[in-house]
Amino acid sequence: MSEAQDRTHEWPTWRYMVELARYKPWLYALEVLFNPVLFYFVPLLPALVVRQLLNGLTGSAPADLNIWGLVALFSGVWLMRHAFNVVAIVTDVGLNHVGTALLRRNLLNFVLQQPGARALPHSPGEAISRFRDDAESIPNFLAWTMDPVVQVLVMIVGLATLASINSLITLAVVVPVLVTLVIVNNATKRIRRYREAAREAAGGVTDFLGETFGAVMAVQIAGTQDHVIRHFEQRNEKRRKTALADLVFSQALQTFTYNSASLGTGILLLVAARSMQGGAGTFTVGDFSLFVSYLGWLTIVTSMFGNFLILYRQTGVSIKRLMELMPGAPPNHLTEHNPIHFSGNLPTLPRPGTPQPLEQLSVRGLSYTYPGSSHGIQGVDLVLEKGDFTVITGRIGSGKTTLLRALLGLLPPDSGEIFWNGRKVEDPASFFTPPQSAYTPQVPRLFSETLKDNILMGLEGQDADFDTAIHAAVFERDLTELDHGAETIVGVRGTRLSGGQVQRTAAARMFMRRPELLVFDDLSSALDVDTERLLWERVFAQPGHTCLVVSHRRAALRRANHIIVLDGGRIAAQGTLDALLQTSPEFQRLWEGDLGTPQPAPEPHTA
Amino acid sequence: MSDSEPTSPVKSSTRKILAVLGRYFAPQWRPSVLLLLLLLTGIGLQLINPWILSQFIDQAVAGAPLNTLLKLAGAFLLFALLRQLDTVAESYLAANIGLRATNQLRSDLARHCLNLDMAFHNARTPGEMIERIDGDVDRLNNFFARFVIDLLGNLLLLIGVLILVWRIHWQVGAALTGFSLATFILLNRLRDIGVPLYREARQANAMLYGFIEERLAGTEDIRANGGVAYVMRRLLEHARRLFRADLKANLMSVSVFGFTRALFMAGTGVALGLSAFLYLDGILTIGAVYLSYRYTEVLLQPIEVINRQIQDLQQAGASVARVQDLLARTSRIQDTGTTPLPQNGALPVQFEDLTFGYIDDDNATGAPLELVLRGLSFTLPAGSVTGLLGRTGSGKTTLSRMVFRAYDPTGGAVRLGGLDLRAAPLADVRRAVGVVTQEIQLFHASLRDNLTLFDPAVPDAQIESVIRELGLGDWLDDLPDGLNTLLQPGGGGLSAGEAQLLAFVRVFLSDPQVVVLDEASSRLDPATERLLEQAITRLLTGRTGIVIAHRLGTIERVDNVIILERGQVLEFGARAALASDSSSRFSQLLATGLEEALV
Repeated sequence: MSEAQDRTHEWPTWRYMVELARYKPWLYALEVLFNPVLFYFVPLLPALVVRQLLNGLTGSAPADLNIWGLVALFSGVWLMRHAFNVVAIVTDVGLNHVGTALLRRNLLNFVLQQPGARALPHSPGEAISRFRDDAESIPNFLAWTMDPVVQVLVMIVGLATLASINSLITLAVVVPVLVTLVIVNNATKRIRRYREAAREAAGGVTDFLGETFGAVMAVQIAGTQDHVIRHFEQRNEKRRKTALADLVFSQALQTFTYNSASLGTGILLLVAARSMQGGAGTFTVGDFSLFVSYLGWLTIVTSMFGNFLILYRQTGVSIKRLMELMPGAPPNHLTEHNPIHFSGNLPTLPRPGTPQPLEQLSVRGLSYTYPGSSHGIQGVDLVLEKGDFTVITGRIGSGKTTLLRALLGLLPPDSGEIFWNGRKVEDPASFFTPPQSAYTPQVPRLFSETLKDNILMGLEGQDADFDTAIHAAVFERDLTELDHGAETIVGVRGTRLSGGQVQRTAAARMFMRRPELLVFDDLSSALDVDTERLLWERVFAQPGHTCLVVSHRRAALRRANHIIVLDGGRIAAQGTLDALLQTSPEFQRLWEGDLGTPQPAPEPHTA
Repeated sequence: MSDSEPTSPVKSSTRKILAVLGRYFAPQWRPSVLLLLLLLTGIGLQLINPWILSQFIDQAVAGAPLNTLLKLAGAFLLFALLRQLDTVAESYLAANIGLRATNQLRSDLARHCLNLDMAFHNARTPGEMIERIDGDVDRLNNFFARFVIDLLGNLLLLIGVLILVWRIHWQVGAALTGFSLATFILLNRLRDIGVPLYREARQANAMLYGFIEERLAGTEDIRANGGVAYVMRRLLEHARRLFRADLKANLMSVSVFGFTRALFMAGTGVALGLSAFLYLDGILTIGAVYLSYRYTEVLLQPIEVINRQIQDLQQAGASVARVQDLLARTSRIQDTGTTPLPQNGALPVQFEDLTFGYIDDDNATGAPLELVLRGLSFTLPAGSVTGLLGRTGSGKTTLSRMVFRAYDPTGGAVRLGGLDLRAAPLADVRRAVGVVTQEIQLFHASLRDNLTLFDPAVPDAQIESVIRELGLGDWLDDLPDGLNTLLQPGGGGLSAGEAQLLAFVRVFLSDPQVVVLDEASSRLDPATERLLEQAITRLLTGRTGIVIAHRLGTIERVDNVIILERGQVLEFGARAALASDSSSRFSQLLATGLEEALV
């Protein structure tokens, strides 16, 4: 209920900051008190010492002055500040990393909970710029959040000190500072626009780098390295322009406020000229020195407030960009307080639960259309009984993979219902995972870890289970031929393995999980005839498995007890092999295409 | 994996940094000179105002007419305003110089890496490459923009202030000069101390982003196989490692620089005390005491800036070292050949006692791992089409990659048109060979750029006609902007089969002399594959073809057949002859296939 409410309106930037601050309250408190107090208040002290010194020198009894005592005080204040800086850096780095780690954790977790085939709005390379730049700049701002409070305090203390010396002059010199503040505040609205453009252009650069280095071989063979680099340069150039606008505008604002201290001092000269004339004594040299120092410092404090406003806007942009990675998520998901384990043991992985044994899986009216196209599937019904081997076949683009993805919750279906043993599956995305089901995609992704880690993916299985999975995936021979066996690092996206080895590693990953339902998408496309036959034999040898398979291969079709033919996203025909060969022209085309020459259909009524 | 990259000795790191700085800074010398001028103007303005203030004090105390005091105040305001304008112009120039220089470096790095061999790329994730080309270089932005200028400008400011202080009184001048020198000597000593720590932090960063990028590209696999918790744990591991490395580097840096700063502050105290005593002795006016105090404050700026730049140098040092590591890598594929390949007509492909094993990129000795190809010798006549069969992992794909020099042989040679590949220019080899693989990588760019891989020289009409020839005409007509349609990231909206057809379009456009089809049609349904058959036949006509297949149907059209087994030739001969020899492995395979068809 409250979640639904939250969803309708976004949080303002400060709400996120409150949530982040509450994550490690002690670290936050230490950081925002220690650092700003040190930063803002300490410079007030040496100026007082210098005033004392100058007034003492020009006063009635300069000889009694303890000059070296004052000098020691002057230097001591600075020494203390630098010593404390060492402590401050720990809280600073700590708060930054804790916040960034939490944001990244929540982001990646959300992305991984999304329908897997459409988890990101853009490419992984583009998302990296968000995981990097935006996730880092938000906690960076967190360290600033208490600054305005301390700034107000230091202003009050500073101005009160000045006013106690001469209230009229104080009033005159403070006006430019206030004017500056108003101007900066108005200008910060444009900051947001510049920042958004700059970040978007930066995303374009990482996006392109990621894709380019994912396609190095294709580019090298095509020999278009120079053209690719030219395109890269265009994106770089766009980033330069947007970054320059972003940077210069905010820096001009900062410079403006920073330098307005000098204007205040100029006014001070004009106003104080009369009171200082001839050493009249109403405004001493020491007072003058203190005014110049404090004015300088108080304007810096003001400019820091300007900075705060600028950062606030820029942080808003970053938050927006992170929330774009979490479409539909309530705002509290981004800052949700989950453990990040910077110290101590890492979390133990949950043990897989016990499956709900599959008796029957049925699907009614499943539809999904890719946004902005007419591709997809419409109104697909299907039923799988325990032990079934169902093959989905059809031409390219007929919706085979889409059907699997929509069923498994890897794409969010537009409509349709799924029933497991007659009970409706409310959230397919979290239901269709081990131990209920496991999946080998058409283009499996392996990660740059060892082969074993890729197969186990954190599963703490017995060696025997591992060997069984390897055997079922017909990988045992390959394993002996790899340089380091199961400990071989498979290379980026599995590039040290052949295409067929990648597919069978993915299959082993699936078998390792012993799911009720095995889902293969075109598993055998990179396998030779023998290996494929062996693989299906071994799948069949494992009792109780139910299989849903996309394939156009005869080896699979022949084993199917049920075949579904998709055409244009709809079921064109279904039934047994024999029946389809008799009745479905589309299936006949698919079947006969396989060997390139028409084959005699098997005799009907063989049963 | 790449943690163990060769580390350059820290000693020479400053020189290395300066070398990179020189190369990318030099083209920016014009705006840099302007920047320096602005900086010097700023320094002058900065020095003049405290002097005006001291004059003001002395004049006021001496009872000068109001008019004189107001003139001083007016001059002060004018200079303050000028300084403001100066600062804005300066920051614009500096940012622009930095961005231009880093963009140049990014593009050089990307080009360099794009030309490195596959063993290098196989060991690195795209995410790590993003971090090394974009992330590391980003850290150099400020360094390029400001380092030389700020160092130079602030040294001048420092010297200027010291001269002015000497002019006030030699004792104050001597005290401040002494402390300044001590501070710099200390800074110079400690300069490189943080570099290895920062470098470790940068590497932890690159590993983290490499990890994230790979996982983001594999959400489907992770999600549907219950790997979420495991991936999350690995993420936390990476974050923890990065935190610890970063904290160490920062602690080191803040301790060193806090110490030097404190030393200098002690110096300003001494100068203040000295001038107070000189006033009491009647040597200095009170305005001069004030001036010497203000100048020590002004002096703080160059010390701080130089301090900060040297800290930056440490961080930059870590980034530059990593950039240098990349630039120092040479491709294992040396492009030293000069004999041109024949430009036209099919070329024969010869393998001479070809032996090959992959190289572990981390292994400096370059010794190959276990051999994947063992002593292969055979010739594919010009214009012939050869089917390459064998179990998965038998070396088919590796063998096909040797033809376009993705790797160089460990022993023996590959010849194209009789010429050892290593004797021909690499560009010739790559132009001569076209490849369609099972996987096609698409860019988040226009369809046109995806098909030509960003080559603008290919005419639209040619692209369109190839697309239509491959039966994708309807699909093309459906696209909102035709060839200019932006393809969605990761090929979203395209089925794997359609993407594979696009790979065929790519190879048709490149008009090669040798064609390698590596399971090129495996994701196509049989009906579409038949549609494509004519196109493939046309593609192979007048070209030498190598067709890798797991399916016998795919090699219906081949002239010769090679069967590989564990990197060796099990069988090589004319397809017809092997098919009719009942003792051949090929005919047994055919029998298996036929037997299947008869079940």
